[in-house]
Amino acid sequence: MKKANDHGKFKYGMVIDIDKCTGCGTCMVACAAENNVAVRADQSDKERTITWMRLYKISNGKEFPKAEVSYFPRPCMHCDHHPPCVSVCVATATKLDFNTGIVSQIYTRCIGCRYCQAACPYGARYFNWWDVFPQDKGMDRYLTPEVSPRMRGVVEKCTFCHQRLMRAKTLAYAEDRREIEEGEYVTACAEACPAQAITFGDLNNPEHEVSKLIKHPFTFRLLERIGTEPKVYYHSNRDWIRKLGDNFLPGEYTPVVNKSWAEEEWSTKPGRDEF
Amino acid sequence: MKITRRNFIAAVVGGVAGIQATPLPWKFTDDVAIWTQNWPWVPVPATGEFTDVSSVCNLCPGGCGIAVRKVDERAIKIEGRTDYPVNPGGICPVGMGGLQLLYDESLRFTGPMKRVGLRGAGQFKEISWGEAFDIVAGRISNLRKKGTPEAIAAVDGNPEGTTVSVLIKRLMRAMGSPNYVRPPSINDTYRMGNLLMQGTLAPMAYDLENSDYVLSFGAGLLEGWGAPGRVMNAWGMWHDGNPAKRKTRIVQVESRASNTASKADMWVAPRPGTDGALALGIAHVIIKSGQYDSRFIADHSFGFEDWRSLEGVNHTGFKTLVLEKYSPEQVAEITGVNPKTIVSLAKGFVSAKTPVAVYGKGKDNLNGSLYEFMAVQNLNALKGSINRSGGVLLPDPIPLSDLPLLEVDAIASKGLKTPRLDQAGTMRYPFTDSLINNFTDAINRDSKSPVDTLLVFSANPFFTLPDGGGFKKALEKIPFIVSFSPYRDETANMADLILPDSTYLEKVDDIVWPTGLQYPLYGLSKPVVEPLYNTKNSGDTVIELSRAIDDSVGSGFPWENFEEVLQTRAKGLFDAGGGLVSYDPDAPAWQRQTAGNGPKPEYESFDEMWEGIQSEGMWYRPVSSPRSWKGLFNTPSGKFEFSSKLIAQAIENYSNKISKKAALKNMGLAATEDEVCMAHYEAPKAGADLSAYPLKMLPYEMINLASGWIPSPPFLYKTIFENQLLKDKSFAAINPKTAAKYHLEEGELVAVKSPAGEVQVRVNLSEGAMPGIVYLPLGFGHTAYDEFLKGKGVNPNNIVQAGQDPISGYPVWWNTPVKLIKV
Amino acid sequence: MDSPLLPHGVKRCSTWAFFFWTLPWLALLAWGGLSAFLCLWKGLNQTNMSNIFAFALWIVFDLAIIALGAGAFFTGFLTYVMGQKELKNIIKPAVIIGFICYSGAMAMLGIDIGQPIRGWFIFWHANIHSMLVEVSFCITCYLMVLAIEFIPIILENRKLEEIKELRIFGHNLHEIMAVFAATGTFLSFFHQGSLGGMFGVMYARPFAAREGFYIWPWTFFLFVLSAIAVGPCFTILCTKLTEFFTRKKLVPDSAIQLLAKISAWLLSLYMVLKIFDYLGWMYGIVPRSGLTFESFFREGPYGVYLIVAEMVFCGILPAIILMTPKARQNQGLLIIACLLNCTGIVLNRFLFIIVTLAIPVMPFDRFWGYLPTWQEWGIGMAVVGYGFLVFSAAYRYLPIFPKERELNPITE
Repeated sequence: MKKANDHGKFKYGMVIDIDKCTGCGTCMVACAAENNVAVRADQSDKERTITWMRLYKISNGKEFPKAEVSYFPRPCMHCDHHPPCVSVCVATATKLDFNTGIVSQIYTRCIGCRYCQAACPYGARYFNWWDVFPQDKGMDRYLTPEVSPRMRGVVEKCTFCHQRLMRAKTLAYAEDRREIEEGEYVTACAEACPAQAITFGDLNNPEHEVSKLIKHPFTFRLLERIGTEPKVYYHSNRDWIRKLGDNFLPGEYTPVVNKSWAEEEWSTKPGRDEF
Repeated sequence: MKITRRNFIAAVVGGVAGIQATPLPWKFTDDVAIWTQNWPWVPVPATGEFTDVSSVCNLCPGGCGIAVRKVDERAIKIEGRTDYPVNPGGICPVGMGGLQLLYDESLRFTGPMKRVGLRGAGQFKEISWGEAFDIVAGRISNLRKKGTPEAIAAVDGNPEGTTVSVLIKRLMRAMGSPNYVRPPSINDTYRMGNLLMQGTLAPMAYDLENSDYVLSFGAGLLEGWGAPGRVMNAWGMWHDGNPAKRKTRIVQVESRASNTASKADMWVAPRPGTDGALALGIAHVIIKSGQYDSRFIADHSFGFEDWRSLEGVNHTGFKTLVLEKYSPEQVAEITGVNPKTIVSLAKGFVSAKTPVAVYGKGKDNLNGSLYEFMAVQNLNALKGSINRSGGVLLPDPIPLSDLPLLEVDAIASKGLKTPRLDQAGTMRYPFTDSLINNFTDAINRDSKSPVDTLLVFSANPFFTLPDGGGFKKALEKIPFIVSFSPYRDETANMADLILPDSTYLEKVDDIVWPTGLQYPLYGLSKPVVEPLYNTKNSGDTVIELSRAIDDSVGSGFPWENFEEVLQTRAKGLFDAGGGLVSYDPDAPAWQRQTAGNGPKPEYESFDEMWEGIQSEGMWYRPVSSPRSWKGLFNTPSGKFEFSSKLIAQAIENYSNKISKKAALKNMGLAATEDEVCMAHYEAPKAGADLSAYPLKMLPYEMINLASGWIPSPPFLYKTIFENQLLKDKSFAAINPKTAAKYHLEEGELVAVKSPAGEVQVRVNLSEGAMPGIVYLPLGFGHTAYDEFLKGKGVNPNNIVQAGQDPISGYPVWWNTPVKLIKV
Repeated sequence: MDSPLLPHGVKRCSTWAFFFWTLPWLALLAWGGLSAFLCLWKGLNQTNMSNIFAFALWIVFDLAIIALGAGAFFTGFLTYVMGQKELKNIIKPAVIIGFICYSGAMAMLGIDIGQPIRGWFIFWHANIHSMLVEVSFCITCYLMVLAIEFIPIILENRKLEEIKELRIFGHNLHEIMAVFAATGTFLSFFHQGSLGGMFGVMYARPFAAREGFYIWPWTFFLFVLSAIAVGPCFTILCTKLTEFFTRKKLVPDSAIQLLAKISAWLLSLYMVLKIFDYLGWMYGIVPRSGLTFESFFREGPYGVYLIVAEMVFCGILPAIILMTPKARQNQGLLIIACLLNCTGIVLNRFLFIIVTLAIPVMPFDRFWGYLPTWQEWGIGMAVVGYGFLVFSAAYRYLPIFPKERELNPITE
């Protein structure tokens, strides 16, 4: 039962470099535009607005002028071990695909019981509290046919832009290739990030950039100790950010010190240079 | 069989029971389930052929390359282009949401319109283009016939130098009005500073990508300064995951923990408006330690040491000024920055190989201060970072052809002789092109508006001007307003006539040199989709309007359409020789520019070049650096001027007319003598009783909210945090210590009151806010557009009380005195 | 007016008095009807539920009434399977209360899901790993069992009894009631347990997560135990309430005392296990997740006081009262103890549902609070109204208290 998904051929995942992340929110907009996510007049109601990719603002908690803010971009973690949402779904409307590692959602099968939302500790699942789109404004004209718009009363979530995988595969088959290359399939958020903070690829393929990045001692995952085995990794040189990635009892967190990565003193000090 | 009650019941019961045994109930249940999947009000996007159209984003002067994914005729997604030199793949959130600006019908004007409701109510009636031209041309030719063409005024928000802006300027001249004004921009400050210190007319060119130490004074590198796609890409490169590969340090000077400040390697927080003093303090440390580039100073600069004029008068040089007045302790007094920090900043700056000091104020939507710019630019000079890779480059202006000389008729030449309403370019503001705040004041001053007809192009001054609502009052007084906006913005809602432009995805338009880019780039956006509505490219509208006014005006516009004008100007690009119309992501333009000689042109004829520009959307020329010093600085001294001779000359000219004291006072100067020619710090005038208004309000910009004339795509509101906007209330970021003084708690309602007005916001306790300052976000508080944007938050511009920046006269929008009143 | 329908030999109020008595409950039903219409027509945006509070008032109501309704299966189990003849005096009201609770809960669930028309997908596309599927299967089956158990009671109506076929049918049904009681017990055991399991298996929510036995987290067993501990108390409360309104003694004290005594033992056992559960959780799962007990109550409206109330005032206290023969023989104390017991179990469900969701797991997320809208209250109150109506009607028209005639001889 405690076995991770290692029998699939591909295991897509991403590494988000928090130091590169500028907090601009382009990933959120790109995600919404790519996936026909509904827009409502009041989106300040963060409890009900739909943001498959969501930025969380974090702060180091120090006083001015030592205060710092940063951001955690949070897509669905596509948990690799026993995703909390999958086992609870009553209608088998969500599944972990062992061939890709993607946790999918079948909108037309979801009955809207929201048990998955209660089970997900990342808040990555969103319920359609309203009918899809404001009508009669012409906004349905930008909807892409690659992703079906959702009906009221169902749960939706980040799919790692599954349609892009399909697109890449179709292209590869058309060119008589059986496999897709690294970079041919990337999520909309990874592609849109103007600071290239998001790297996407196959974690099962040691050649892929993501597989290399996750070995870095400054790389961590959200709520790792709960055991969900997320396939979304984060990276930061700043200790206070890494510390916010999980819950720690007092004294439990130990700063990462790794000589091979700490060649240049100024950039690897825990936190930011103090003057 | 006889139907009795009994066998009737039996039949019904039997029937019902029998049906259960058939597949019918199952079929019915299944149908119902399918029905829930096909509710008629859930859109089913039509599919078709997928194509990608390459274009250039024109929502800000950044000009990032975009690839628009289409299904048949519908655009469905905007993505960043990887084959464009400005932004290798990424774009900003505003650009990413651009399709909503195209397709949200309630944001747009669907054709030429006449106002039917009250001004500001946004009620319009659709009319034909012919009718629209008749109305506005009739009005203008009447004014010309009356001999008062100067009563026509134009506000033009198109970036300086773009072809449509050149046409509008030309139309104003042809009609005979000098009153062509522009909303402020950081480029105004750059242009003036470059002119005074370097004598160059080219835009500011910061070689960020090659720098190893970026000392940014207020430039919101991550807030949307310059071309966001470019700057954020550089940010990604600067922050390689492997610290060993990280070469560039970023230092942000800003009073608030903005994204840039937080994400930088070091954040220094001086009081707002004292950035210049801090730069001078750093200069002091550098000069004192003797670690400046003495060769550059000796060979290529003027005014560093004390000097003696030809007339034998002794003058103070920059060195003396700085050593005398800007020691770290003195600067600490002004800025509130620890003297040790100032010393360490200086150390960091001089010990870097290719440092650059960047000046800015948030995004590039608003102006900066001239002396602040000069103070920052002095640091580049001290370190010899001017005309050096990784510093400030000095390219030539973009070689676009001038349009043929315009011959104006008698009416126009009389009108053009009347003084500009904004006094720009007069002795009082000798280097300023346009002063929209003065323009507003001129209209509001008298009972009758001196402007009869106002033309507004690509601007929403009602919303974007930091003038405490002054422009709104002016709009109320102006008898006739014509808006050329594609969007139902606040200014357009005040207009009497709408001649709607097409949106940036429906028209051809050019981008001339994105802000801050280190090499000349000419971008061309093209129609991604056919215009959805009855709108017209403003370039074409101007040409047609000129002809509709009268032959004399029309004769200055001999082109068939706007595209022909674009081609006419682009001739200069071909004549200039080398230039590239395609981009190889493996050879970034910022790398090529260090490679030596300019590139070989990729084309042999103009047509070939134009075709290339049209399909790829770019013409650019990576400049080689360093360039030959000969003739590089076009200042009176032929050198980089620490002490500007042009300023000295201007003051002398003005002093000859009125007394020197009066001249200095009018120009907004407190300093006298040689100090005025050099970067120095002057405390801005308070403008209010500071005991009544003990705090300062500082508007700030966010990258995920459009604060210029473009509406924010509704998608952006997903990215706004609930402590920035909650329902209809935006938040003021206030330091907990300051808030405690007023007994304010998180989320509480508070009125921020300045002498210019009052707004109500919620309190956001933020340790990133400097104590004593109230930070209000720019971009909220729309009173126009649709339910996505209207009535959300407040617009801090409404309470800005702006003084004037010395010499330039630009609004000092960062110094509004305010008080907090608990609601 | 309706006198031919009334049971023989008992006194009932006038038709008009009964009509007026039903009015407030009908009003609650109307309120619920309007709310249900709005929720079905306009969608769940009519509620204050959210992506944070995916489960809210209705689920608390559901879980609470299902626990309270456990009196039905457990009394049935004691009566028919364990042969506690004394309880025959109270089994009928217990079954009716159970039926009311379960049917009410099912109706609420139908509105609670976002796509009610697809509700049957639970059975068609069942995910056997989901505790909620187990719950749905068992509840649906058990509701049928309850309906079957209810039928003979209905058939005891004076008019219906006159029909011979029905009388025989009812009688035969009655004979095999032990089978249904056993089935009901089996089904109930599993759904009460899987309701607890639902929360215990949310391993990524440290506040709710529990370790356990095989596939069942401890909450599985605790929920079963707490339900059978509270069910009898709720049955007692309902009986006492009926006695209060009818101003009659309806059930002999011996039956009540027996139920109270059983409840006392079960509650005491439950409290002991629950204390172990809390301790095991506080020193096991919580620190393993990097959290402390206090960290759950750092902010937000929900505090440790809820747990103190659940354990001490609504757990140990009623357990002591019910355990002490002298105390439980005192009418006032008995009712207070039953009330406290019921409150404690509702609090327990509240903690598992609302407080679990209000506590963020990601350290940078915030605490949340929740207040239901009138539509949510409307649906909840409608179940209360429905309960009063059905129970009142059952009391009026059916001989549900076998000892009523004996205890209240008609004197005139």
